[in-house]
Amino acid sequence: MDQPYESTAHADHEHKPHGWRRWVFATNHKDIGTMYLIFAGVMFFLGGAAAMAIRAQLFKSGMELFDPGVYNSLVTMHALLMIFGAVMPAWVGLANWMIPMQIGAPDMALPRLNNLSFWILPFAGTLLVSSFFVPGGAPAGGWTMYPPLMEQFGASFPMVVFAIHLLGISSILGAINIVVTIMNLRAPGMSLLRMPLFVWAWLITAYLLIAVMPVLAGAVTMLLTDHFFGTSFFNAAGGGSPVMFMHIFWFFGHPEVYILILPAFGVISEIIPTFSRKPLFGYEAMVYATASIAFLSFIVWGHHMFTVGMPVAAQLFFMLSTMLIAVPTGVKVFNWTATMWRGSLSFEPPMLFAVAFLFLFTIGGFSGLMLALVPADYQYHGTYFVVAHFHYVLVPGAVFAIIGAIYYWLPKWSGRMYDMRLAKWHFWLSVISVNVLFFPQHFLGLAGMPRRIADYAPQFTDWNMVSSIGGFVFGASQLLFPYIIWRCVRAGKPAEARPWDGARGLEWELPSPAPYHSWQTPPSEAMLAHGAEH
Amino acid sequence: MPLLRIVICPNCSLSVRGALVFFSSACALSLGIGAVFALFGLWPVLPAAGLEMILLGWALHESLARRHTTQTLTITDADVSVESRDRSSSRQVVFQRHWAQVKLSCPASRLHPSRLTIESRGRRCEVGGFLTEEERRGLALRLRRLIGRMNESPPLAVGR
Repeated sequence: MDQPYESTAHADHEHKPHGWRRWVFATNHKDIGTMYLIFAGVMFFLGGAAAMAIRAQLFKSGMELFDPGVYNSLVTMHALLMIFGAVMPAWVGLANWMIPMQIGAPDMALPRLNNLSFWILPFAGTLLVSSFFVPGGAPAGGWTMYPPLMEQFGASFPMVVFAIHLLGISSILGAINIVVTIMNLRAPGMSLLRMPLFVWAWLITAYLLIAVMPVLAGAVTMLLTDHFFGTSFFNAAGGGSPVMFMHIFWFFGHPEVYILILPAFGVISEIIPTFSRKPLFGYEAMVYATASIAFLSFIVWGHHMFTVGMPVAAQLFFMLSTMLIAVPTGVKVFNWTATMWRGSLSFEPPMLFAVAFLFLFTIGGFSGLMLALVPADYQYHGTYFVVAHFHYVLVPGAVFAIIGAIYYWLPKWSGRMYDMRLAKWHFWLSVISVNVLFFPQHFLGLAGMPRRIADYAPQFTDWNMVSSIGGFVFGASQLLFPYIIWRCVRAGKPAEARPWDGARGLEWELPSPAPYHSWQTPPSEAMLAHGAEH
Repeated sequence: MPLLRIVICPNCSLSVRGALVFFSSACALSLGIGAVFALFGLWPVLPAAGLEMILLGWALHESLARRHTTQTLTITDADVSVESRDRSSSRQVVFQRHWAQVKLSCPASRLHPSRLTIESRGRRCEVGGFLTEEERRGLALRLRRLIGRMNESPPLAVGR
């Protein structure tokens, strides 16, 4: 018989369940972080499969692998899966793993909410993917979901809207948990300006998420009510305006781009100092630059829609505000470069991905500046130049940063080292093929090839073939990544607590693998001071 | 009568004022955006923002509730009392010091936290559930010195 127990309740997350319960009822930040990353990996490969199908269709002019409707569905689902299914959950997974370790907290502030925010995702992802299998197929209106086109897809339309709602709810719950954890569970002595840049980047990202997710929720809800309940928010026949949807969507959409890339800035700010064996150059400037980028993201949405016919004054405003983003971004690129300057550099896989990020993200930034120029944008709008631009930002930008982060922290998570040689193969194959894949798309766009078409004029064939070959190699080379992780976890050599000799920060004071509950003892002042030598 | 009091509470890095400032700024931004869209007739953004702010307020409130959690252990020559307080309730458990014993149960795995209890005559009370592992182990050592084993009542002056 149990003894009478007169107690304050002991939080359940402090006991490690076994078997499937460990995952279904998980409240530990590391378990939930792992689940987020696995989910993101599955979505990455599903979205990648859609990308392979797209590149196969575009391999040469006149290919008829899919009819145009299916092709447009593949384009739409590729974007939705990659943005909402892969990159965002991957960042939340990394936040779950690293933020408590980096701020000296035992766990996330609201562990049960954390469980809920993850477990919404598989249902949302399933709903999204299963829209392929309903009559009429998946929506083919692009990830921007512009009405009235978006409303013309049968049963899959409400499925995708509900999936977006669920994914948004999950993001909001995750963001709220991250904000509260950073604000309330920092170890004594961990002041805001001592926090690692990854934590800072996530604090600002979470704030952005909290600000813009209701806008997306409202927008897709209005699409739904226009379609099923006879409202006319965006229905021109009823007095609404489809252009208003573009405004509301891009008011969400542009900060969303920064939601995808700001955590990458944080990761790169962790990796470069480690492998340069120097403190980060201009820590405070990096914090303020990140905050400035976040602020500016609210006032630039119009540059996505210069061609709708907005007043010249508005075009000027959006052009200039967009160009202004180059200033804080330039500060960041300068500071990363200055950190490497005269550093004792070594090029392990995380650093290779970080350096590739630095070069290739900057290319994406420059093409973004070109697109910010109104007269130029009138030429580039709706062409493959735009596709090349945002893929340079999101693939060698966000995706490379996620891969670099996993290579950076995997020894800490697993307690084992991965195969460096294979990881370098993964890097070189990825970095060469990603350029073969996306760089020719600049030429195609400048030559006038429109985006979102299932077939094209024969003069675009050569560069499309090159691009597709790059795509296939890039896709195949990503299969190395789960294999490297699997081999590391199964049979990697034991890793030291600080596998990278230049690594600073609280997470490296913990043993490898990190204990089930991080920081059962608050970090000492000496550890905090060492970690804060940014 | 010799008396020793130990008050333990969890760590919070956010003050109530800081939380209010943060929450107000988030509300101003999110509801402000919703209000501007409502002015243009796109009112469904506003309730979504409102719901989200309610959730954020709840999350901050729950997390700040840690501040109200305290446990006060009072040890006299005769008794050991544990008073547990949270935001809404307070309860006190009193043990006879002579029969009380301090137990630190080891976790099943070295990665799991321990649990510290004071037990006597079939009753037990957990203390320091919110403490970190080393703090809890330190508290256990101190309590053992003060309370002693069963059938022991060391002078309180020794444990000070």
